[in-house]
Amino acid sequence: MNLEKVVFGFFVVLAATLNFGFFIGDIDNPDLHNPYELFAAVVVNLIATVLKFGDRTQIGAVHLATSLVADLQLIGATLMFGYATYVSTAGMTDAWTASVVSLSGGALLANIVSVVLLVVETVSFHRG
Amino acid sequence: MGNPLLAFWKNIFEHDDADRRIRRATFRVAAHSAAQASATVFLILRRMRVPLIVLIVIFSVSVLGLTVIPGQDAEGNPLRMGFFDAFYVMSYTATTIGFGEIPYPFTYNQRMWVTISIYLTVIGWAYAIGSLLALLQDRAFRSALALQHFSRKVSRLREPFLLIAGYGRTGELLGHSFDALGRRFVVLDRNSERIDGLELDSYHADVPGLAADARDPGHLAVAGLGHSSCEAVVALTDDEEANLAIVMAAALLRPDLPVIARVTSRAIAERMQAFGSPATVNPFDRFGDHLRLALRAPASYQLMTWLESGPGAALPDRGSPPRSGRWIVCGYGRLGRELTKDLRAEGLEVTVIESHTTDVENADLLVGDGSDPWVLAQADLDRAVGLVAGTDNDTTNLSLVAAARRSNPGLFLAARQNHAASAPLFTAMEVDALLVPTEMVAHEVYAQLSTPLLWRFLREMPAMGDEWAAAIVDRLKGLCGAHLQTLWKVRLTPQEAPALGSWLASGEARLGRILRNPEDREEPLHAIVLLVLRGHEAMLAPDDDDFVLEAGDELLLAGWAAARRALDTILLVDGVLEYVVTGRRVPSSWIWRKLSPAVKSGALSDAPGPGRA
Repeated sequence: MNLEKVVFGFFVVLAATLNFGFFIGDIDNPDLHNPYELFAAVVVNLIATVLKFGDRTQIGAVHLATSLVADLQLIGATLMFGYATYVSTAGMTDAWTASVVSLSGGALLANIVSVVLLVVETVSFHRG
Repeated sequence: MGNPLLAFWKNIFEHDDADRRIRRATFRVAAHSAAQASATVFLILRRMRVPLIVLIVIFSVSVLGLTVIPGQDAEGNPLRMGFFDAFYVMSYTATTIGFGEIPYPFTYNQRMWVTISIYLTVIGWAYAIGSLLALLQDRAFRSALALQHFSRKVSRLREPFLLIAGYGRTGELLGHSFDALGRRFVVLDRNSERIDGLELDSYHADVPGLAADARDPGHLAVAGLGHSSCEAVVALTDDEEANLAIVMAAALLRPDLPVIARVTSRAIAERMQAFGSPATVNPFDRFGDHLRLALRAPASYQLMTWLESGPGAALPDRGSPPRSGRWIVCGYGRLGRELTKDLRAEGLEVTVIESHTTDVENADLLVGDGSDPWVLAQADLDRAVGLVAGTDNDTTNLSLVAAARRSNPGLFLAARQNHAASAPLFTAMEVDALLVPTEMVAHEVYAQLSTPLLWRFLREMPAMGDEWAAAIVDRLKGLCGAHLQTLWKVRLTPQEAPALGSWLASGEARLGRILRNPEDREEPLHAIVLLVLRGHEAMLAPDDDDFVLEAGDELLLAGWAAARRALDTILLVDGVLEYVVTGRRVPSSWIWRKLSPAVKSGALSDAPGPGRA
């Protein structure tokens, strides 16, 4: 067992699960989407991205790309969240909630690709 | 000098098959080096992982803590900080900017947490920035960056350039001569100090340089061996093996390129000949040849050294080495061996002084240190005619020369200068013939590469005899003064001399007719023709009045830069040629030509020309 692989797998899967946890629930109901969960998802995604730095293989490059996509979407979601809470006079309306959650849904897709890549890599390693 | 037009032209139109084939041949070696460079970048990214993760974790923990710890607003109502406020506070606190407690003054709970986070985040930032700076200072990283920068510069070169492997004193001399000609070159040397020195050297053009071992074909490929504009490879390192490796790489990867290598031993020279036919320059061998030439034909030798020294060189003195008598050669190393052989071949008697007992073929050997007065006395200096101080130690050579001059002032003295630093001492000593191996190699390579016609001229010139050479030196001196002006080449082809077409075809195209001043044809042009190459036949310094030019001739001229410009005008503009040959001013615009019917195109060759002024 390689500790580096454990840490890597842990963060990739955790990023996806946290993202999923935030995403699940009615898309326009702000009570069902916890901001702490979004925060955790952003942090874990950033860590997962940094862990993917410096891998020269083709699969490593795709890994990094999916993580960067997820980061972009999640940071977009937090920016919208911040705008709705602090700047907008209407506050966290249904429409804003829906935008934030749908952005995180996009990030979830990227995270799922990342997990699939992880699984593919593992399986092909065992076959090889 | 960078010529953007030329580069543009080459960029657009000259992507032929040959280019592609060359690229493919060297692609693999170049790719190897490029991969090495990118590997370092990946390594750096990997090394930044831990500092970045530490920073992210510290930051997120601090922000999370601030949002969780209860606070209160201005009225004392309980309030928790939002994520944005917490992120904002942590951002300016962590970066030590410190705007204060925003949006409301903190409670003691919050202040305790902020105190902890300040220490944590400062450590996190210091670690991350420290690691980044350490990486930027990293040798491997810097050399990878330099390699990338260098290969980008080389691949952008669109003019013909020279690849100089080994940038020692010789490379520097050669580089300056080529730079003066407006030619580009790329430099490869193992010593990074020499490469750094490139920036301090005052070159007109930008010279890409890489500190790398030239024995590695990958480095040669990065330096432009596979580049379609590379016109020649010069191996000038002080390591014979390295020069051989460079010749091998060039011959195997780019068999079409001319290669010139510096050698000092015959064995290596022969091993090099197995790879194509590289030109080898052996400074000791060449010095021997030059000394023989100087013995036989002092004026030819003078002309040769003058032309080889390049533009701006002062006219060297014409020495007169003694043609009979006994010579003393001190030091029987590579130089000593060559000289002894050459002097014997000239029928001179030679005494060798050497500190170690060596097997000297059929000679008069004196074992001992040459700088020892007793040993010199043994050599019977008073009855010798010449002395060669040819050891590899400058101090010994200088003291030999001084001692010899004191005991016999009439001696012809030849000395070898090993280090550039001793140059002023040897100049002050005023020896009759000085060998500086680095300069010898630089001049030879320059003569071979600057214009092929000059090399041809230098090779054929000794056969013309000493008096002929003396006449040429006098003519050149009358024309240029004591310093050599420019040497240039003119090709009488429809592309380079479009105005000459019908005049050349007339069969009456005497050389003296076009070497006139286009402003006033009574005055001759300040240039002389050193060589005319017709097919494979070379004619040296043809007589201006009698020589008839033909289409396709190549001319090597020496003279003033102004004469070069004037001759270019004559070759390009119809009206100017007409005036120079016939003395008639021809209108240059199309309308005026139509309006003055007196001038007919056939008039050129029939008109009587002016006599030589």
